[in-house]
Amino acid sequence: MTLSLLLVLPLLGGVLLTLLPEGRSTLVRGLAAAVALAQLAVGLLAWRQPPADLALSWLPRLGLGLELGLDGLSLPLVLLTALLTAMAVLASPIDQSRPRLYYPLLLATNLGVIGAFLAQNALLFVLAFELVLIPTTLLVAIWGGERRAGAAVRFLLYGAVSGLSLLAAVLAFGWFGQGAGEAGALAGAAPSVNFSFEALAGSRLTPSAQAWVLALLLLGFGLKLPVVPLHGWQPFAYCEAPAPVVMLLGGAVSKLGAYGLLRFGVGLLPEAWSAFSPWIAAAGAVTAVYGALNAVAATDIRRLMAYSSLGHMGLLVLALAAATPMSLQGAVAQILAHGLIVALLFACVGLIQRKTGTTVIAELSGLLNPIRGLPFTMGLMLLALMAAAGIPGLAGFPAELLVFEGSWTVFPRATLVCLVASGFTAVYAVRLFNRVGFGRLDNSRADWQNTHWGERLPALVLTVLVVLAGIWPTGLTAWSEPSTAAIALRHSDALVQLAMAPESSTLSLPA
Amino acid sequence: MTPTAAPERIQAPLIPPSSHRYAEIIHRLEAGGSMLPDTPENLMQIIGIYKAYAVPMDFYWRDLLYIAEQVFLQPLPAFKYLISQEYLDRPNSYAGDQSQLRIWRGGEKAHPELLEFMERGETRRMPKLLHHLWHDRVNMEFAEACMQAMLWHQGMGGRFNDYLESDAYRANADRAIKAYFKGNPLMLGLYRLFPEMVLEQVRQLSYTANLGLFWEVMAPVFFEMSDLYDEGKLTSVPQAMDFLVNGIFAVAGRPIYHHVFIRGECFEIIPKSEGFTWLYEAALPYVEAVFYRTSPFRGTKSYNAQAYQVPADQADFHYGILYADVFPVGSAGIPPTLLMQDMLHFLPPYLQELYKGHKRGEEDQLIQLGVTFQRSMYNVTSAVIQALRCALLYPLDDTDPEHLMANRRFFEAQMDRFLRPEARLGAIQTQEYR
Repeated sequence: MTLSLLLVLPLLGGVLLTLLPEGRSTLVRGLAAAVALAQLAVGLLAWRQPPADLALSWLPRLGLGLELGLDGLSLPLVLLTALLTAMAVLASPIDQSRPRLYYPLLLATNLGVIGAFLAQNALLFVLAFELVLIPTTLLVAIWGGERRAGAAVRFLLYGAVSGLSLLAAVLAFGWFGQGAGEAGALAGAAPSVNFSFEALAGSRLTPSAQAWVLALLLLGFGLKLPVVPLHGWQPFAYCEAPAPVVMLLGGAVSKLGAYGLLRFGVGLLPEAWSAFSPWIAAAGAVTAVYGALNAVAATDIRRLMAYSSLGHMGLLVLALAAATPMSLQGAVAQILAHGLIVALLFACVGLIQRKTGTTVIAELSGLLNPIRGLPFTMGLMLLALMAAAGIPGLAGFPAELLVFEGSWTVFPRATLVCLVASGFTAVYAVRLFNRVGFGRLDNSRADWQNTHWGERLPALVLTVLVVLAGIWPTGLTAWSEPSTAAIALRHSDALVQLAMAPESSTLSLPA
Repeated sequence: MTPTAAPERIQAPLIPPSSHRYAEIIHRLEAGGSMLPDTPENLMQIIGIYKAYAVPMDFYWRDLLYIAEQVFLQPLPAFKYLISQEYLDRPNSYAGDQSQLRIWRGGEKAHPELLEFMERGETRRMPKLLHHLWHDRVNMEFAEACMQAMLWHQGMGGRFNDYLESDAYRANADRAIKAYFKGNPLMLGLYRLFPEMVLEQVRQLSYTANLGLFWEVMAPVFFEMSDLYDEGKLTSVPQAMDFLVNGIFAVAGRPIYHHVFIRGECFEIIPKSEGFTWLYEAALPYVEAVFYRTSPFRGTKSYNAQAYQVPADQADFHYGILYADVFPVGSAGIPPTLLMQDMLHFLPPYLQELYKGHKRGEEDQLIQLGVTFQRSMYNVTSAVIQALRCALLYPLDDTDPEHLMANRRFFEAQMDRFLRPEARLGAIQTQEYR
């Protein structure tokens, strides 16, 4: 019941909003926010009282069943998605154009993402994963900036390839894993392959088939995250899409990729994952450095944040590649922390753009001015930048610390590269803030009203959570500790290894 | 028809137009105008702010004289801003029935709006000391910052500054110091050990008296302008400027002096007989030091002296209100901010209405009135420039082209000071700058 409610709420809400009479934009906005908040409440309820898994037959001949479940991996992501949907709705302007299409599309995105997180059936996951592409593309194409058409086309193309490769991977997984034997047994009848995670986990794939499936999965999820060199859509889309949509895109939708890698890659194809992991770690390190350096060179705040987000995805991929209990915890913590931080950053950028009319760094300065600037928004943005740079006391720190500590023993070189890249975060954060926050406020441009509390609310809520997660990191990790520990591929007892090292060296001394 | 044609022929240009960057403004000055364009809104803004400025100024000059004459060398001057009733009632030399030259038609004692504010403040009625400690009062710190700017820049014309180094001044100060610290062996001992230190304090107090005497004139001038505007008798910016020019000449010869009252006895540190006058010893140095130069304020904007953001030569300083960036206000310790807060308390209703309709309305009144203040001070500076031209050069309606060229060169030289990018002269030419 609880699980289906999580899906029924955005579905019904979205349909209802389109049926509302025209001209009731505040009502539409309020209802959309209420739906997302109700979903969040249901999610919290599910956290306190874990619901039983749901398994309904849907299209058995295809192996597609409505199998839903919540575990330590999906629960925090469901909560994050519900929260970010509510915040994206609240961060949208009150006079949002075409609200009866805009808000339902946000809810449809939410439906797809939540559906994917809840799915316990790989085909259902693919279905939900594909569903997300439609509303997000429309959101970019209709409400985006000047170059929205190009951004939407690119987003759609990359998304389609991602979806297709994922579908191919899942089908191959099912057919090669269980297809042969069972199809033979049921000769004459239609081949029935069970795509539930449970069944897939039990299937036996040859090592080469595993490698192929994983390669397809890496392509599909790598495009979604994204990872260099599959990131072509991301800076473009993040620059052109409306800020609230980017909050959802960067905070929740891209996390589908991370979740998929964790669930399918680490969870279902452990041997192939172990074999591929050095390359995956290398890709993570390259992504981290590439993202950070591009962010340093960026001339637009949105572009800077897009590349910053890309760089943080690199850390996430490194942690997934290492797959030690600690690094996987770090990966989940990074998913949550980055989701909050990127949403907060774009909430602030959205306010800056709405007020000043631009996000070009060269055109902005002195926004920290106490009376004519945007001191509140800039204050929160400074905090978000600090969190992104991994300053202790904020959400980014425990996540990055766990990632680095967890990955160090397995991939020391890649970790070191990522550490340096993480250092660049501070470089572009300071550079951005120095240019945009300080300096002289341009009088001819400084002609906007200050933000009011209604506009500040989403950023404020996210800020509270970023600070809370920083001083109480268990909030990031406790959800998933048992789940990630169960699928960890390597032991990561850094402490044990460190403690061993001197012993071996003393032994070798007499010789 | 012919009678109007004749003056037109006289006004035909005798010299070619200026090619200065501010040529338009120079031509306006040559036609008897102000650096501030003549628009009804500009007139309303500057007159309104003169009024709002004059009320705290009525406190500044009284308290400055109180400090210079009564508090004097008090080593712990904690109560120097708690002015005595005597100085609040001190008759202004240019207002009230007793005045020899009556500039303002109003009374000679402290302005009623000032007294009302001192009583209530922003908060509520409470004892003076509590208002002081709560900082709910007139910001005398601003007045002292202006005085210090004059003391620090020094040497800006006039003989006042040189006199402070003269033997006569030292002897006068010495007598006052010894009388003030009579029976105080500690301070007398300090004076013997470090005579220059105490003398420097007296010099500062002489500048305090100087500025107090300067503002004693300006407050009634501004009050009268406000009253004339309310009556509809001031109808253009050049008229407002001319009123200032006339005022400057009317009081130009006012003596600048420094008297100290110690136990009822008057010590003339700078006697009136030295012949220091208001225009050359107070007004011109004040305009130079405060409008143009002052000093980089410690505030939201920081200056890097090693990167030559602060000029090595004091004469190149340009942090005055004519150059100021009025946006970074709101943090402590920036004198213009203090003045803006002082003026905020006495804004006439029509200015409050104006501000409500622009930019952020009530939220950023401080900045809007700061910009207005900048406009008004460009007008005051125009008056000073015209007065100087009048005193040193030729009338505007002179028919000798050489004389007109001399005037032109003078105006161009004055405008050269606004060529640096920080100058707000260009900005105040439009109403967009708020």
